[in-house]
Amino acid sequence: MRINLRIWLKIPDAEAATVKNTLVRRMGFEGVIDDVRRERLYSIEADVGNPWRLVKHIVRELVNENKEECLVSIDELDLDDGYVPVKVGLHIEDGEAISAKNRLVRRLGLSAVKRVERSNIWKLYIRSDEREAVAEEIARKLLINPNKDSYEILRARARAVGMRQ
Amino acid sequence: MRIAVIQFPGTNCEHETLVAVRDAGMDGEIFRWNRPEQELSEFDGYIVPGGFSYQDRLRAGVIASKEPVMATLKEEAAEGKPVIGICNGFQILVESGMLPGSGEIDLALAQNVMVKGGRIVRRGYYCGWTTLRHESLPRRSCGSFLLDGGALLQMPIAHAEGNLVTAKEGLIQELADEDQVIFRYCNSSGTAVDEFPVNVNGSTENIAGICNPEGNVLGMMPHPERAIFSWQLPPPGRRPPGPGPGRMVFESMRRFIEVSR
Repeated sequence: MRINLRIWLKIPDAEAATVKNTLVRRMGFEGVIDDVRRERLYSIEADVGNPWRLVKHIVRELVNENKEECLVSIDELDLDDGYVPVKVGLHIEDGEAISAKNRLVRRLGLSAVKRVERSNIWKLYIRSDEREAVAEEIARKLLINPNKDSYEILRARARAVGMRQ
Repeated sequence: MRIAVIQFPGTNCEHETLVAVRDAGMDGEIFRWNRPEQELSEFDGYIVPGGFSYQDRLRAGVIASKEPVMATLKEEAAEGKPVIGICNGFQILVESGMLPGSGEIDLALAQNVMVKGGRIVRRGYYCGWTTLRHESLPRRSCGSFLLDGGALLQMPIAHAEGNLVTAKEGLIQELADEDQVIFRYCNSSGTAVDEFPVNVNGSTENIAGICNPEGNVLGMMPHPERAIFSWQLPPPGRRPPGPGPGRMVFESMRRFIEVSR
């Protein structure tokens, strides 16, 4: 099964604010972009019957509750409506994902963890009839460097279900 | 001969770069990113120095690459004026499409991956002294104009994202064939061993610096401005006073401007 751990800052996210400012002030998206938010996504493949006990250990290791909040869902990645979600990850080797897996498996002994992928979900609040086309343009022109990153426009679903920390 | 050392929010090597510019016999000043960009045309050459522009938000160099001053810098470079990007400056030139020079983003400077004996021994930020081999002929680029082919230079690096990669097939060979590879990391005898600590960041084919096809835009990860005096080189206190190897990069820029006039 796949454990999807979405993490976001509960303090102001300066990186998301900088991306929004750059889009609006430097790249001609004024009046098109209402807001930009960001989540970090860990997609963790695990070989386990009941995942929730494992989830507690994973959350304790990967989430800093002093500044972050998270949401966990199993298998399905459920996303809210209202924005276009753009998933950006590395297509070259991701050292941080490897480190995260090593922390979980070697240090915490969570041998049920088989694979860890890490990406960012950029939540683009777009005012346009062509929201996905605009999101594509933003991804190509700013969010990725195609020599190391890849992106995917995800479909937003109804409200997420799962465990909210 | 006036050089603009371009400062973005988060740049942190502008002052020592200015010292290097003046020490090489040029005049210079720090040019803040939010000055009217038209004023950039008054200068004879440009250096985008190292640091962490915009705190490396999103990825190193990309936010600075969208600033209006960069559009003007591209125009000045198209006129043949010299531009040198050092460390974060190199990352900005890559993200702006000025290097390797097609106008597209053909390269990335990804997170450092240090490999030794087939194993990853370290990742991320690293600072230390490196030896560079000048790969090209003299006069090929504005920052290596006075260097002989095969010259070895000691310079420090300090970065987390200097691992040059590309998804464009054949590009690395093309850069080598066109003498656009200016510096490679090598050992003290000049051999480009493709493993840590010689290849300090996992960069493809040990590449440390490249230029555009015309040679007037150069980007390099090592810091020549931190090696302009011999006393800056390790070990401390054991060298007679005199110029350091990094000064040749700035003196090359001066000579490039002199012969371009």
